[in-house]
Amino acid sequence: MLSAAKRGHKSCRRNGFQGLRAKRSKRVPSATLLSLRAIRKQFGPIAAVDGLWLDVAAGEVFGLLGPNGAGKSTTIAMATGLLVPDSGAVEILGLGSPSDPKVRAHLGLAPQEITLYGELTARENLVFFARLYGVRDPRRRVDELLARVELDGRANDRISTFSGGMKRRLNLAAALVHDPRVVLLDEPTAGVDPQSRARILELVRELAREGKTIVYTTHYMEEAAKVCDRVGIVDHGKMLDLGTVSELIGRHGGRTAVTVERDGAEERVLTLDPVGEVSRQLATGGVTGVRVERPDLETVFLSLTGRSLRE
Amino acid sequence: MRQVLAIAQKDLRLLLRDKGEVFFTFVFPVILAVFFGFVFGGNSGNSRIELALVVESDARIAQGLAADLAADGAFEVIRRDTREAAIEDVRAGRVTAVVVLPASMQDGLDGLFAGGGIPIEAIVDPSRRAEAGLIQGKLNELAFRQFPRLMSDADGMKRVFARARASLAQAEGMSASQRLAASGMIAAGEMFTQSFAQDATATDPTKATLQAPAGTSTEGSTEEATEESTGTPAAATSDASIASSSAPAATRGWSPIAVRIEELPQRRQRPRSSFDVTFPQGLVWGLAGCIGAFASALVVERARGTLDRLRLAPIARWQLLGGKGLACFTVAMLVQLLLVGVAVVGFGSTVAQPLMLLVAFAASAVCFSGLAMLLAALCRTEAEANGAGRGAILILAMVGGGTIPLFFMPPFLRTISYGSPFRWAVTAIEGPFWRDLAVADQIVPITVLLGLGIGGFLLGARAAGRPLGRARSAT
Repeated sequence: MLSAAKRGHKSCRRNGFQGLRAKRSKRVPSATLLSLRAIRKQFGPIAAVDGLWLDVAAGEVFGLLGPNGAGKSTTIAMATGLLVPDSGAVEILGLGSPSDPKVRAHLGLAPQEITLYGELTARENLVFFARLYGVRDPRRRVDELLARVELDGRANDRISTFSGGMKRRLNLAAALVHDPRVVLLDEPTAGVDPQSRARILELVRELAREGKTIVYTTHYMEEAAKVCDRVGIVDHGKMLDLGTVSELIGRHGGRTAVTVERDGAEERVLTLDPVGEVSRQLATGGVTGVRVERPDLETVFLSLTGRSLRE
Repeated sequence: MRQVLAIAQKDLRLLLRDKGEVFFTFVFPVILAVFFGFVFGGNSGNSRIELALVVESDARIAQGLAADLAADGAFEVIRRDTREAAIEDVRAGRVTAVVVLPASMQDGLDGLFAGGGIPIEAIVDPSRRAEAGLIQGKLNELAFRQFPRLMSDADGMKRVFARARASLAQAEGMSASQRLAASGMIAAGEMFTQSFAQDATATDPTKATLQAPAGTSTEGSTEEATEESTGTPAAATSDASIASSSAPAATRGWSPIAVRIEELPQRRQRPRSSFDVTFPQGLVWGLAGCIGAFASALVVERARGTLDRLRLAPIARWQLLGGKGLACFTVAMLVQLLLVGVAVVGFGSTVAQPLMLLVAFAASAVCFSGLAMLLAALCRTEAEANGAGRGAILILAMVGGGTIPLFFMPPFLRTISYGSPFRWAVTAIEGPFWRDLAVADQIVPITVLLGLGIGGFLLGARAAGRPLGRARSAT
C-alpha cells in the first residue's frame, strides 16, 4: 500500500503537477484575483516554498491543505506582501504586487496567531483597524462585524478575558473590517471549541455567498472538504495537485472498499463501482452486514505524499 | 495622517492600561525626584545646619563665639580660612551659610557703648531662606553668651569704657546734665564690670581659667583661650544661659550685637534649590521608562504578529513608524511636563526660559523616540527587551546623571557620561530650567539630542519595521 502511495506521489509529480504548471502558464483567467507565479522562499537550507503556482478565481473558496510545516503560512505571507519571494511573482486583482499599499487594501488576512491587542476591548481593536484602513463610519462597521461573529455582547470587554474561540472569531472579524475582496484565512479554526469552529465555517460560507475570494489554509481535511470549492495539496513547499475534492479523490483516492459480513466472516473488496459491488454481494445471499469506505482527502494526501496528513 | 494618529492613540491607550509601565514612566520618576530632593537637603528641618565659619578676628569674643558655634547642636561647622572658600562651599551646596567673624569685631567691642554693635556677618544660600532666620537668632544668642566673659575681661572693659568716655567728650549737642548722666552711667558700668569679674573669679574656677589669659594679655593668647573654652563646652553653655536671659533686659533699646544676614548673590549655573537638580534627574528616569516601554511594546508587536497586521494595512512605512514614534514622543513630552509641573507647583522651582525648555523637551522626546526604535530593532525577543534592553537603559541613565547629579560625579565619570543620551537630555533641560544659559550655549545639547534621535530612528526603522519589499519579477 505504501509503495503504491509512493508510486502515486511520483506519478503525480511527473504528470499532475507538471501538467498543471504547464496549463497555468498558458492561460491567465480574466477573473483571477490572486495569482502566485513560481514563488519560492528559502530560509537557510530549507526551501519553505519551492516554485509554487496558484490562480484563485473571483468568488472562489480555495483550500491549501497540508501538514504543519508544509509551507502554507509562508505562501500566505508572500501572497499578502509580508514576505518577499526569493523568486517568482505575486499579483493581486491584476493590479500588481501586494508591496503596493493600494493593492494591499484589497486583502484581508486572519493570521494563524491571534494578532490583536489583549488590553484593548473587542470594539477598540476593530475600530483601530478600521481607522487604519480608512473605513468610513468605523463604529457602524464594527458593530455589524461584532454581531456577525456573535461577540456584540462582549464588545466592551478586553479580549485578554476572551476564550480561544472568541479570540479566533474576532481575529477573523479584524480581517474583514475593511470589506476586502480577497480574504486569506490561515488556520482560522486552530485550537477552537466546536461552537466557534462551526461559526467560523458558517461565516466562511457566508462570505463565499457574498462573492468574496477566499484562500483557506488548514490541515483539517474535513474542513477543506466542507467549505472549499477547490483544494490544493501542499507539502514541502510544493503544490502536489489541486482541483475539486471529487477530482482529487478521483485522481488519487483509488478504489472504494466494500466490506461484506457473511456467516461471521468479513470480506473486503476494492472497487471503482461500489453501488454495483454492493448489489452483487446482496444478490448472492447470506449477507449480514455491508460497510462502504469511500476514499477522502486523507487518502489523497497519503497517496500523494506517502504519509498521513497529521504526521 | 489619520492612520498615524490612530496608531499613536492605540499605543498610548495600551501604555496607559499597563499599570507597571504607567508606574515606571510617570510615578516612579516623581518619587525619585522628591526622594533625592529631600536627600540633598530640600527639607532638612530635622537635621543640623551646615555652616562654613571664617574667623577673621583675633578678638576674644570671636574665639568664644567660634567655639560656641562649633559646640552648638543646631550646627555642623566647618572652618574655612577665607571668605571665598566658604562662599564656594555655599555655592556648591555643601553648606547652608557662611558665618564670618570679621576683623572689625574688636573695634565693635571697643566701641560697645558708642558704635553700632559688634558685627557678625552671615551669607546664606538663597534657597535656604527658611534657615536664615534660625541662623540669625542663634548667632545673636551665642554672641550674647559671650558677654559674661567680656565683662570679666577687666582690661578689655577698660578700653571699652575709655572709648566711651572719649566718644562722650567728642559728642556735640549734649547738655551738661546729659553729659553728667552719661558719665555716671559709664562709671557705674565700670564698677559693675569690676565687681562682676571679681565675683566670677571667686565663685567659678572655670571662669578663672577663662579669665586668666585675658588678664595677662588681650592679644596673642586667644588660641589658648579658644582651646580652653572648646574643651569645656558645658561650662560655657551654662554661663550663656544666664547671660542670654539677662542681657536683653539690660540692653533694651540698644543692641550690642549687629548680625548682618546677606543672601548669596544668584550666579548662573547655580540651582535655586535641590529640586532644581533632582527633577531633571527624575526626568532621566521618566525618559528611561518611556524608552523602555515603547521599545518593549514594539518588540511585543513584532513577536506576537500584530506588527504584521499593521504592515498589511494600506499605509506607507513612514506612517506606521511615524505613528509609533509619535506615541513615544507624546509620552516623553508628557512625562517631562509632568515632572517640571510638579517641581514648579509643588516645590517652588521656577523656569528661567519656558520657551527654550519646551524646545529642550521636544529635542529629548525626539531623541528617546528614535532610541526606542533602535532598541526595539536590537532586541529580538520580549525577554531581550525587558532584560538586556532595560538593563542597558538603566546603566545609561545612571551614567547620564539619573542617580547622582553630574556635578557630583568624579571627573572620569563625567567624561564617560558624554556617551549617555540621558546626560545630553539633563544638560539640555537644565540650561533653560535653572541654569539660565544663553541660547547659544544650549544649541550643542539640543543638536546632539536631535542627532541621536534621528539617527536612532533611521537605524531602528530599518530593522524594526522591515519594509514590504517589492516582489521580484518572475524569472
